Formats: sequence, structure tokens, C-alpha cells
Amino acid sequence: MGLKNKPNYLRWIVYLILFIALLFIPRILSIHDLMLFEYGLTFAIVGLGFNLLLGYTGLLSFGHGAYFAAGAYSVAMIAKYLPQAYSIEIVIPAALFFSLILSIIFGFVCVRHTKIFFSILALSLSMLLFALLFKLYHITGGSDGLRVPLPTMFGFSFKGIRRPEFLSGTYYYFLLAMFAISFVVMKGIVSSPFGKALQAIRDNEVRAELIGIRVRRYRLYAFCISGMFVGLGGALWTFVNGHVTADLSHWVFSGEIVYMTLLGGFGIFEGPIVGAMIFTYLKLYAMGHTEYWMFVIGATLIVLVLLLPSGVAGAFSTLWRRTIKGN
Amino acid sequence: MTKEVSRRKFLKYMGATALTAGSLGTTSKVWGQAKPIPKDPIKIAAVSFLTGAAAAPFGIPGDNTYKMCADMINKEGGILGRKIDLQSKDEAGGVDAQVKLCRKLILEDKVDVVLGYISSASCLAVLPLSDELGGLIIAYDCGTHELMEGAKSPFDIPKFKLGFRSKAHLGIDNIALALYIKKYYPNIKKVAGINQDYAWGRDSWLIFETAMKKLMPQVQVVKTLWPPLGNTDFTAHISALMGSEPDIVHSSLWGGDAVTFSKQALGMGFFKKIRMAYSRGEPYPQEVGKDYPEGQIICCAGTHYFLHTPKDKTSADLQKTFVTEYHKRYGKYPSYPCYHAYQAIYAYKHAVEKASNAAGGGWPTIEAISKALTGLSFPTPSGILTIREDHNGYEDCLVGVSKLTPKYPFPILDKTEVFPAAQVNPPVGTKTVDWINSWK
Amino acid sequence: MWIIYTLNGLYFAALLFLISLGLNIILGVMGILNLAHGSLYAIGAFIAAWIIIAIGAKIPPFFLYITLLSGFVLTGIVGLIMEKSLIRFMYKRTLEYQLLLTFGALMLLEDVIKMIWGGQAYYASAPFDLLGKADIFGHVYPTYFLFVMIIALIAGLLIWLFMSKTKLGIMLRAISLDREMATGIGLDINRLSTFAFVLGSALAGLAGALVVPTTPALLGFGHEPLILGFIVVVVGGLGSLKGALVGALLVGFTRSFGIAIFPEIELPLLFLIAGIILVVKPEGLFGR
Repeated sequence: MGLKNKPNYLRWIVYLILFIALLFIPRILSIHDLMLFEYGLTFAIVGLGFNLLLGYTGLLSFGHGAYFAAGAYSVAMIAKYLPQAYSIEIVIPAALFFSLILSIIFGFVCVRHTKIFFSILALSLSMLLFALLFKLYHITGGSDGLRVPLPTMFGFSFKGIRRPEFLSGTYYYFLLAMFAISFVVMKGIVSSPFGKALQAIRDNEVRAELIGIRVRRYRLYAFCISGMFVGLGGALWTFVNGHVTADLSHWVFSGEIVYMTLLGGFGIFEGPIVGAMIFTYLKLYAMGHTEYWMFVIGATLIVLVLLLPSGVAGAFSTLWRRTIKGN
Repeated sequence: MTKEVSRRKFLKYMGATALTAGSLGTTSKVWGQAKPIPKDPIKIAAVSFLTGAAAAPFGIPGDNTYKMCADMINKEGGILGRKIDLQSKDEAGGVDAQVKLCRKLILEDKVDVVLGYISSASCLAVLPLSDELGGLIIAYDCGTHELMEGAKSPFDIPKFKLGFRSKAHLGIDNIALALYIKKYYPNIKKVAGINQDYAWGRDSWLIFETAMKKLMPQVQVVKTLWPPLGNTDFTAHISALMGSEPDIVHSSLWGGDAVTFSKQALGMGFFKKIRMAYSRGEPYPQEVGKDYPEGQIICCAGTHYFLHTPKDKTSADLQKTFVTEYHKRYGKYPSYPCYHAYQAIYAYKHAVEKASNAAGGGWPTIEAISKALTGLSFPTPSGILTIREDHNGYEDCLVGVSKLTPKYPFPILDKTEVFPAAQVNPPVGTKTVDWINSWK
Repeated sequence: MWIIYTLNGLYFAALLFLISLGLNIILGVMGILNLAHGSLYAIGAFIAAWIIIAIGAKIPPFFLYITLLSGFVLTGIVGLIMEKSLIRFMYKRTLEYQLLLTFGALMLLEDVIKMIWGGQAYYASAPFDLLGKADIFGHVYPTYFLFVMIIALIAGLLIWLFMSKTKLGIMLRAISLDREMATGIGLDINRLSTFAFVLGSALAGLAGALVVPTTPALLGFGHEPLILGFIVVVVGGLGSLKGALVGALLVGFTRSFGIAIFPEIELPLLFLIAGIILVVKPEGLFGR
């Protein structure tokens, strides 16, 4: 995948430089743009998780909003029903746990299928969660959703601090750390034997079966890991957004996750991260500048599908390789 | 306090950027340090439904009124000499889109005040942003009583330092309906409810049911239905209601839903046996026209009715000009969202002037405007409006029954009854439900 | 009252049947799940409402009902344009691109509707009002709902006759059964696919046109029917016409009786039934 001809350590040096650059982002961006950047970071984690399934296992889920919602609602529900436990070091593991449980249940049903059957099934199941979140008004707040206050963080309370201050200070670095950890872990997963097995399944299911890979079980593992990453993204997103609604589990939201991944390019490990960033800015700026923002996003998607199927990062990578060869 | 400071220092150290708006903790002087009046216009964002089912009966009339009032204020010289630059924004797109929009309005566009929100869901999500971001937000039309109430009574007031609602909450509509039913239909046996499945519908029914239990304990609730907002097919709901044979059906349906429901219910012979009680039914007779069934109980969400003459002389004059001017401009009579829009924009105007006077001139700080809004009382076309210490409006409420007359091409309200504010609003700091349950 | 609940269920099922029939024809013949199907339904509704408002008062009542067919014809044309300009390029592409393209089309069409018709509601209730009410065992019921059921029944019968008796229909079925084999025996897959997409779109448009006299046409009109259409397709079996009928009836009755008996959980109940069917019979009731 990606820039295979480049030596490995060089790649990690680039990552490190980029990471250090990210540390200075709050000093550069205005508060509004910084919040957008944080949305982008959370979706980058979502994209990493989603791409394990799409890019590496070859399964297209149109229902990953469900695991995002599982993470987000874990946070919101703890804030509402267990306020004494509402600290970030408790809610994040809780969000991981609940998105894992949900992806085990849904994944068990879904991985029996592939292709479009898998997509539709994932979609239907996420809509089941949507229907529950939507209808159980007294518990989940229905379409009004739930508000998410600022959590305590390793003993620190943020009472009396405004959300923008919280987000531009401590939380940004926490988010960045979570992103870095997710990045490294996911990188480890895809280059491990397990990751290679998934790619073998993607490329040829029958051959994978023949060389002794337990296809369905591996798919389920991939599904669960993917669900947990997406759930983590959802949990981290709630603190930025401050509010969760049932729409998170709606298939249109799942569609946006697919969109971001494709926008960046699912053939490349870093693709979904690029896609998440571009999509966040594209959507917000389109919304801010035209009444017809859906037209802009829809048209962009169509152009992308027709002309740039490997995504933005994919196109750059091809371009890069060509220049190197040209030299 | 020291811990607070050290935490702030800690945050700074961690890279927190200083915010431009004044911090909440620093209002040391009562009326603040007013700055000289700026030359540029006041940026007011008005958020209403401009597209979708709620646009025609609510959003557009509300938005039209904002424009009309801004023109009227600008013609008279603006607020403290500053003209109003009104920006109309769309409330469509769901709660999450509204949170993002409001954040952009306050942080990036730096508007002076956000007036808006028709849906209770929008209000519940957006009002907390006022204190979070340090921007003034005045809710103008949404109803849920939970917006300004705490978890249990007595609760701390105000809930939001910079968040207001320039109207009374849905308690007045539903308590007035219950009182009206007790007075005019004392012999009914069964009621049912059809309300939209979110805060507005749920809370409307809660207050109505609680009030009915207290006022007419013999009445039985036979069915409660919760169609989603924007439902297009009510046939199943209509027949389910008819099947349970209630005398009166309570409903807070609004927007296109109320029109669709009426239309389909007419086709199924619903109104022959059942009477509706609409907690916010005032715009629909005009919207539907002469087909609108007679004999339906309709509440005006206050005394916001174009044929109502307030007792207060100044208000009565305002009402006359308001109705004529609106009808001249838009060819319709103002419906209750129009009155609500008037209340919001004029509340801001009066508060700014009051705060400026108190500070001895100049443009007041946001905290001073907030302080001036608290306890503000001023004449509006539908009577004197007071904004209480809980940052919530305090109003009378008018209920009547639809009746066709030769004078108007749609049914008007007959047998009207005005319930005084003290009878339908809970006291400051008491939860509405607790207050109703404490009735003797 | 039970008879009215049943009629409500049938009425709702009739509309869903038309929507999911279109969805299933496209899915069966082309292997593409059209996420923009709901938008086509909305376009049918807007077109019909627009025409009824413009000329409804000037023409005799009989023609008023003919104007409802405009939703069928004109949405079919929209489908044709869509197929020729977008879908055409997707036949050889993989699943993710096909789905995302129709997802893009969904967003695009949503705003195209907004550009053409604006944000307001279109009320076109003349066909509903004119038919009046029928008396069914002592219950009042709008005749228009019966009219919708009859139209859906006729449409269903015609499609069935078409698929089983005409050459074109048999060719379409051949493609949905085995695409490679169909190519092998020399069928013009591209033209047949165009035809299937146009027919599917037109059916969605017809459903939209039929519903608009009972409720105003609005932005976001197609969202709910699309989701229910998905459920019908999944439960009935992907690409199965019989499945569309049975699935639509199941969803229609669950909704009607659900609201009457368990109003609090009607929607989750629907998804739950769908979920159980899928666990027990993953390919749907009539899937292959």
C-alpha cells in the first residue's frame, strides 16, 4: 500500500515532524477554525477504523454511524445518569466497551454476508438503533438528543470554563494524543499478520480459506476493531460538539463516513485522515457560504467517483510516484 | 478561588487562547463600563424556519415581522442611533446543524444578539451556548417549560446568564386549555392526545395531562399518540384516536403537520364525533381557510390574536398599528409567531436603552444588557410583557372556539376567554409540574 | 374499527409497494441499490402538485386524475436523464462507487428540488377533496385512499403481466437471474438497464404523485419512504417482485396496527421484525 519504495524509517520521521507541527495548531488557527480542526481529528480516527473494514477487508458498511452513536451516547448517558462517574478516564473506556458490544452483536449478523447484502444489512441494523434512540424519548431524549457538559479530566474540573477555552487548551492535546495512539495502533494492526490475512481475504476469499484463514471469524474481528475505533471517534466528538442526537445512527450520517473515506482514498492508510479533514472543512464552508450546500457536496462526490476514484491522497501518491520515476 | 485561578493559569500554559468576549466572572461593577457608541450597524441574527413544513405558518411570518420591526426601528433612528443589520437564517436541518450555526454566528460572525428558534429542540440545544460562548441569545417562539427550569424545585435562577426567552413557556397554553375545558365542557368523560415525538409535544402533553388530572380528576385518558415531526400520513393515528372514542383530543401539532392532520381527519369524518383542543392552533384557520372545522378549541400561545384588544392603552394603540401595518405589507393578519418576533426584537431594543441610561450613556456591555433584560417590562401589541428573573416571559393567555363569520374568509375565535398571567404561570423558581400538583 | 385499521394498512402498503417495486426492479436488473430513490419519489410529488395547482381548477375532474400520471411520466424522464448522465458509467465499477454515486445524486437532487420549487409547501388536495367519503360498514373513509389502492393494484398487475408475458419483460428477468448468461445469449444489457432504471424511477414518481393530494409536498419529502422502502426490500428479498408485495403488506400492517395498539414502540417494532426475519432467513422472505 502507498509509498512502498520509501524506506520505513523515513516515513516515521515524516509522521513525527507532522505530529510536532500539529502541536502548534492552536496558536495558528482562530477558535472557530480550531474547533473545525478538532471535528476533523475525531473523524480522522473514525476514518482509520472504518478503513480497516473497507480498504483492508473489502467490506462496505453503510451503517457505521451506529458505532459512532454508541460511543457518543455512552458519554452522554453517563453524563446524564452517572454524573459522579463523568470523567474522561472513565467515559472513554466505557465508550470503547459499548461500541465493542454493539459491533459484536451487529457484526455477528453482518459478516455472514458480503458485497451489497453486507452493506444493506449494516444499514438496516444501524437504523434499528436509530429507531430505538429516536423513540425511547424519556431515556435518550429522542430527536432532541442530550447535552454533554464538560467532563472532569484526571481530577481536574472545568467548572466555570467556557467550552472554547476547554477545547483550545487541554482538550486539544488530549485529542491529539488519542489520535496519535489510534494512528500507531491501527498502523500496527494493518502491518501485523492479522492485517495481512484481512487483505488476503479481501483479494481472494476462496484462496484465503484454502490457506487456512478462518474468513468469517477474521471478518468479525475486523468489524469489531473497526467499530471500536469509530466508537472512540464518536466519544471524542461529543466533547467538541456538546450535543448528541439520534441522527448519528441514521444511515445518512453513515454515508458521510463512507464519503470521507473515499474522498481521501481508501487504498492508502493515511487516505481517510486526509478525507476527514477535507470533508469537515468542505461541509462547514459550503454550509456557511451557500444555501445549496448539499448540491456542492453531492456534486463533489459525483465528480470524485467519476474522475478521481482513488481519492485525493491516492491521486497525490500516484503523482508522487510518477515524479520519482520521472527523475 | 485560588484553585480556579491556578486552573486558568494551567490552561493558559497548555495553550488556551484568550477569548475576546468578557469573562463571566468579571462583572464587578453593576452596569459595567459602557463604551462609546460604535458607528457601525448592530448585527442581529434572526433564526426561523425559512424552508420546510414550518416555514409557511411560522418561520416566514416570524421572519417578515423581524424585517418589518427592523425597518420601523431604523426609520425612527435605530437603537441608540445605530441601525439594525438584520440577517435572516434558516432553522432547518436539525438540532446539530443549529448548534453549529449558532456557534458560527457568535464566534465568527460576531453578531450582537441571536434572536430566534421556533422548535423547542433547537432551543434546548442552543440556549446553553449563550454562556458557553459568551453571546446573547433570545429565544422567541419555542415553548418547552424545561428550557428555563432546573431539575427540581426550588431551582436556581437564572439558568443561563446570557440566555433569555421573550415569551411565556408552554405551561400557559396547556393550563389555559385545561381551565377552558373545565369551564365550557364540564361533562366530558374521555380525553386523548396526539403530540409530536420530541420535547415540544412530550412537554405539552405532560402539562396538559397534569393539569387535567388536578382540575377534572374524573376524566380518563384513553390514548396518547406520538407521531414524528414532519409525518405525512396520519390515517393510522386518526383511526386509532377514533377507535378509542374520546370527547376531546389535545394536540400541540404545529407547522405542516397540523394542516395535514386536519385535512386527513376531515376526510375520515373525525370532527363529527371528536373536538380538538389545539395548544397552538391560532395560525391554522387563516392558513386552511373556510374548510377549517368549526367548534375546535384554540389557544393563542398568549394573547396573540389580531382581534384582541389589550387593556393597556399604549398596547392597544400598538396593536392597531401592528395589525394594519402587517396586513398592508404581507396581505395577511399577524399570527402568534409575528407577535413573538415583535417581543424579541423590541425586548432587545428596550434593554439596550435601559442599560445605556443606567450606565449614563454609551453602548452597554453584554452583561449590562442581560441585566436590563431581567425584570424588563414594556408594552407590546398584545399587552404588557414582563421578562422575569428566571429569564422567561410572563404573559396572559387567550383561548377560544373556531367559528365562521361572514366578515372573514376563515373561522375566527368565538367565546374567547383571557386567563390572567398569575393563573397560568408558575411562580419563579418552582417547576411547572410541581406547581400544578400543589393546586388546591 | 378493525376494518379501518386494515384499510389504513393496505393504503400505506400500496404506496410502499410502488416505491419498493421500483427499488427492486433497479436492484434486480442492474444490481444497484439506488439511494436517490426517495428523491425521485419527492420529484414525482412536486411535479404532480405543481401541475394540479397550475391547471387543476381549469380542467374537468376526470382529467385531474390523469394529471397524477404526470408524476409517472416526468419522473421517468428524470430517471432517463440520470441514467444517461451518471448511472451509465457505473456498470463496471465496484459496489462502493455505485452506492456513493447514488448517495451523491441524493444530495444533488435534494437541492435541485429546492432550486426549482423553493422551500415552501405545495398543497394540492383537489383530487382528495373531490372524491369525497365512502361509507364502509358504518365507518367514514376517504374514497381517495381506495383509489390509491386500486391504482397500486393495477400497476402491480401490469408489471407482473409485463414481466411474465412480454419478451422485454422476460429479457429483464433473464438479466436479473444471471447477468453473464444474459450477455452470453446476446441481450443488449445497456439498453435493458436503461429501461429498468426508467421504469423504477417512474414507479417512485407515481407513488409521489399519488400521495401528494393527501399531504403537502415539502423538502425532505422522500426520506421516510426511502427507509421504509429499504426495509421492504430487505425483508421481502433483494430484487424479488413478490417480496416487494409481501414486504409492503407486512410493513403497512405493522405500522397501522402498531400505532393503534403499541403507539410507543411502533417504529422499533418494525425494525425488530425486520431484524428477526433477517437472522432467521438472511436472504429475505423471497430472496435467492
